[in-house]
Amino acid sequence: MIVAGSVSQDVEAPLESVIKGEVLRMYQEVAQNPQGEFHFYHGRPAAEMLGYAPEWLECAPRAAVASFAGVGNPHVRSRLQPGEVVLDLGSGAGLDSIIAAWQVGGAGAGKVYGVDVNSDMRNKAAANTTAAGLANVQFLDGRMEDIPLPDHAVDVVISNGVINLSFRKRRVLSEVFRVLGPGGRISITDIVSAKPLSQSIVNDPKLWAS
Amino acid sequence: MFTFLEDAGFKRVRSTIVPGFAFRKDSTRDAAEAYGVKAVLFTAQRPVQ
Repeated sequence: MIVAGSVSQDVEAPLESVIKGEVLRMYQEVAQNPQGEFHFYHGRPAAEMLGYAPEWLECAPRAAVASFAGVGNPHVRSRLQPGEVVLDLGSGAGLDSIIAAWQVGGAGAGKVYGVDVNSDMRNKAAANTTAAGLANVQFLDGRMEDIPLPDHAVDVVISNGVINLSFRKRRVLSEVFRVLGPGGRISITDIVSAKPLSQSIVNDPKLWAS
Repeated sequence: MFTFLEDAGFKRVRSTIVPGFAFRKDSTRDAAEAYGVKAVLFTAQRPVQ
């Protein structure tokens, strides 16, 4: 998660490519080395802090819980129903996708799409859903600014601490709108700032990745 | 974020501060406090029509 990328504004940082590289490197590290120490809370302590149900954390594969790096709990307001199709934007190691799949699966044959640009996270998420015995989750390679799904493909979009990482937040939200069907809904947790951030903060790759 | 969601076409945009969220590192936490940085849960709906 980051401080610098407030979703309350579309920032244009001259060091965009450097910052994107640093953010990817940080989340790669969370995927590969979840026992490491980071600038943000992660893993089970973070999930407990944010109100994830203990039974979810007990039933989910440990690797999915260990690499959790969200900033909130989108499930408290998602109101997922059996049979619904869900997009988890920035699916990471897959914990939120797995929890969503439990809610939409079963006889209703709902489905969850996870989209993430990080291949290590996608591979880990796929392994975690297999370990969880879930067949109704599919992870797609893609950027949140160009979601690899057709128009009106999903009923619900969830996301957890990811949109603030984009330099094109308006574009991301118009993509979210595009892939939702009429009456579709979102439950998104993210970081926002009340004040405009200084240019020195916006240009600091380490703050984006912390 | 509210404006972005409304501009994208969403209706019934709602937000609530995420309880329990905190940055781990003291320096990040201090900077976040100075800028009013919070974790927020947003809900909204795409209109039926």
